[in-house]
Amino acid sequence: MEIAKSPEYLACPDCDALFVAPMIREGERVICPRCGANLFSRRPNFVHRASAFVLAAAFFFVLANAFPFLTLQAGYRQSYMHLSGCVSGLEEQGFPVLAAMVGVFTLVAPTLLIVALLYVLVPLLRERRLPWALTLCRTIHEARRWNMVEVFLLGVLVSLLKLGNLATLTLGTSFWAFVGLIVCLVSALAAIDHAELWEQLEAARP
Amino acid sequence: MTEFDLISATEYSMARCHSCGRVEPVDAEHCPRCHAPLHLRKPDSLQRTVALTIGAVILYFPANLLPVLRVESTLSGTKQSTIISGVVQFWQEGDYPVALIIFIASVMIPVLKVLAILVLCLGARFGYRPRVMTQLYRITEYIGRWSMVDVFVVAILVGVVQLGSVITINAGEGAFAFAGVVVLTMLASHSFDPRLIWDAAAKNRRRSGRSQEAA
Repeated sequence: MEIAKSPEYLACPDCDALFVAPMIREGERVICPRCGANLFSRRPNFVHRASAFVLAAAFFFVLANAFPFLTLQAGYRQSYMHLSGCVSGLEEQGFPVLAAMVGVFTLVAPTLLIVALLYVLVPLLRERRLPWALTLCRTIHEARRWNMVEVFLLGVLVSLLKLGNLATLTLGTSFWAFVGLIVCLVSALAAIDHAELWEQLEAARP
Repeated sequence: MTEFDLISATEYSMARCHSCGRVEPVDAEHCPRCHAPLHLRKPDSLQRTVALTIGAVILYFPANLLPVLRVESTLSGTKQSTIISGVVQFWQEGDYPVALIIFIASVMIPVLKVLAILVLCLGARFGYRPRVMTQLYRITEYIGRWSMVDVFVVAILVGVVQLGSVITINAGEGAFAFAGVVVLTMLASHSFDPRLIWDAAAKNRRRSGRSQEAA
């Protein structure tokens, strides 16, 4: 088994303890002895795994935006909502800022996350990095925090019950694509160790 | 090994880049790998955290007092619901799990989160139980986003219900205020720097060490 090179020094992000980084094997991880934070891990084949999941997530995200998300039936009338309908609906009712917030959390942040991950990971398969990859890698961290697709999913389930007897909501194709998106995106992010991604990116040929 | 045998990176003037995690001498000013500015600690961490938390507390009142949703239906008239009345409605209809989810996400988490941030700020001042405080910080960072559920429910209902003749659903001002509360608390916990807790703890330890020597 290959023993990978670690960065020279490690500082704990949560308690600032400084150490000389220990050498670890694939599948092992370094935990801060003072506060228990996860510092560094080597995950087998992470670039391959993560890029496979991100590609699948990108595919699901396109599907989720292309088809109706929810169908509403009240009496004999029917209407469809696309994923973007949440944003446009709020905007039409005079809540442009709230619409923008919902748009950022459910559309912009996931798009940015997927695009940035693809741009960084796919060239890494051949140990290359494209121009601006380092800058884009910084946005991954930021977009991750504002990406709330899984919270949105819980919101969908609650709304199904909320309308209750007033109307019937049924789940559309997009809903299932959205579930797929969440599974793939979460798996991709779980496969990536931030420190290791940075290191591989630094080592890659520009 | 006790927890204080480890030395904080700051004592060697080493800064951990908050964007890529590389450890470099702080004199460099910018991280040589990702070009983010280097700081020993998040700048003005406590001031920013407290200011954002106060903002969230102020917005919390309109968020709970103003309606988040107005449902007009030809059959049952107009109903306004606030966040609390939404929970009560689910409870009365017997949807206990949903009532519980909404209650936890929209009522409990924002309140507990604000309290947790205040406890953390005190922790950064007095350095009490740093390990427990750090754990509290991690939970606070993770959990805040789930409060957004109610805002998304409003967005979804507004988006899907466009049948003017039978029912209309309008978003209320409360939803906007509530989204503000969630975003402000998320920013507040993000601008908090947990390393301050350990700095305070180390200072306490040094002080108690000195007083023992004097005795």
